[in-house]
Amino acid sequence: MPVLLSTNPQTSFPVADHYPSDDVLMARVQANDLDQLAVLFDRYHRPIFNYLLRRTNNDRETAEDLTQTVFERLLKYRTSYQPSQQFRAWIYQLARNAHADHWQRQQQLRTTDVLDSEQRGQLGASAFAAQDAAEHSQHLYEALALLPDAQRDILVLNRIQGFSYEEIGEQLACSAGAARVKAHRALQALRAIFFAS
Amino acid sequence: MPDRPSPYDCFTVADLLVDYADQLLPPQQTERVAAHLAQCPACREEVVQLRAVAQRLEAVEPAAPAPELRTHFLQLLEQEKAALAATAAAPEARVRPMWPQAATRWALRIAAGVALLLTGIGLGQWNRSADSSAAATAPAAGPTRHALQLASSLSGEGAQRLSASDRIQLVSSAAAAVDTTKAADPVVQVLINTLNFDPNANVRLAAAGALYRLRADPRVGEAFTQSLSIQTDPNVQILLIELLVNMRERRATTQLEQLARKPDALPIVRQQAEYGLGTLL
Ligand SMILES: [Zn+2]
Repeated sequence: MPVLLSTNPQTSFPVADHYPSDDVLMARVQANDLDQLAVLFDRYHRPIFNYLLRRTNNDRETAEDLTQTVFERLLKYRTSYQPSQQFRAWIYQLARNAHADHWQRQQQLRTTDVLDSEQRGQLGASAFAAQDAAEHSQHLYEALALLPDAQRDILVLNRIQGFSYEEIGEQLACSAGAARVKAHRALQALRAIFFAS
Repeated sequence: MPDRPSPYDCFTVADLLVDYADQLLPPQQTERVAAHLAQCPACREEVVQLRAVAQRLEAVEPAAPAPELRTHFLQLLEQEKAALAATAAAPEARVRPMWPQAATRWALRIAAGVALLLTGIGLGQWNRSADSSAAATAPAAGPTRHALQLASSLSGEGAQRLSASDRIQLVSSAAAAVDTTKAADPVVQVLINTLNFDPNANVRLAAAGALYRLRADPRVGEAFTQSLSIQTDPNVQILLIELLVNMRERRATTQLEQLARKPDALPIVRQQAEYGLGTLL
C-alpha cells in the first residue's frame, strides 16, 4: 500500500488513501520518526480538546491543559502503543485517563474521607454543576453536568462527537450492543433531567 | 375503540424508543412502536423529548483550542527529537553538519530580509513611531537591539548553531516580549521571515503560532496571507488557514481560492482552504 502523500491531481481517491492511516503513522513514530506525531497532533488535537471540554463541563483552561497532557503522554509512552489497537481508541483512552486523574485530584480537594465512593461521585457531580451553572447558563450543559461521569462520557462520544456504537464499543472495550444500551440509558437520563421540573 | 395501553405495553417498547427517535429501527419494529405511540401520549411525549435533547447535543458546535497548544507540543517534540539524536549519535557523527542543503539559500534570504529591515525601511519605520527625540540619534536600543539579536540567532550562521527546538523556544519567547502597544516592533518582521524561510516546518509552525499572538499588528494578517502562497508543507498550510479564519482575515480569500484549486496541494489542504473560504466569505 502506498503510504506517502500522493499529489497526483488525477486520482480520485478519498483523502484517507492519500494520507497514511493513524496506525501507519504511529508505527513510524514507534520507529522514532517523531515528526509523524505532528500529523497525528493535527488530526486529533481538536477532537480530543472538544471531548475534554465537554467532559469538564466546558472548562476551557482545564480542557487545554488536559489535551496537552494527552499528547505529552502520547510522546512519552509511545512504545506502549500496541499495533493491534486502533489508534483512535488508544488516544481517547489516554484522554479518558487524563480526565480521570484530573477528576480524582478534584475530589481529593473537595471531599473528606468519611464519604464512601458512591456519595463522593454524586457530590462531585453536583459540585461541578453548581460551579458550572454560573458560567454556563445553558440548560443543556447544566443537565449534562448533573449526569454521572460515565454517562456524560458516552453522550459526548455518541451525540456530540458522532461516534457509532461500534466505535464506542472499541473505546470502552465492550460490544456494540452494550455500548448502545449504555448510550440509550444516558440519553434517557439526560432527557429526564432536562425536562424535569 | 382501542384499549388504553397498559404499563406492560409501554415496557415492551421502552427499549426501542431511542432508536425510534433516531429513525434507526427496521420497518417492522418501527411499525410496532408507531402503533403503540398512536395510543400512548406518555410514550409520544418521551419520543419528542428524546429528539429534542438529542438535537441539542448534536447542535453543540466544536470549539477551537488555543493555537498555543500546537506551539507547545511542537516544542516538546523537538526536545524529544534532540534527546533521541543525542543518544543515537556517535561522537564523530555529531560533527557532521546537521544542516540541510537548502539551508544556505534560506539563511541568505533571512539575512537579506533582516539587513533590509534593520538598515532601511523597517528601522526607519520603527524610529518614526518611537519617541522621536531619543530615537533619532541613539544607537539601536530597546526593541531594535532585541530584534537584531533575535534576527542574528534565527538566521544565518547563528541559527545553524541552534537546534530546531531552540529556535522554537526563541520564537515563542520573542513573541512574548513584544511590546504590543508600540507600532511596528521589528521583532514581528523577524518572526515573519522565520515563518517564510526557516527550513524546519515545526519552527515555521511555531512562528505562525507566535505571530498569531501578535495578530493585533496589521502586518500579521498580511504576512499570513502572503505566506500561504509560498508554504508547501501541509501542516503549515493548514495552520495558516485556521489562523486566518480565526482572525477573519478576508484579504486571504484570493490565496484560499488559489489553494483550493491548486492541483499539487494535498486534498486535505484543499478541503481546509474550501472550509476557510466558506467561513470567510
Ligand atoms: Zn407507552
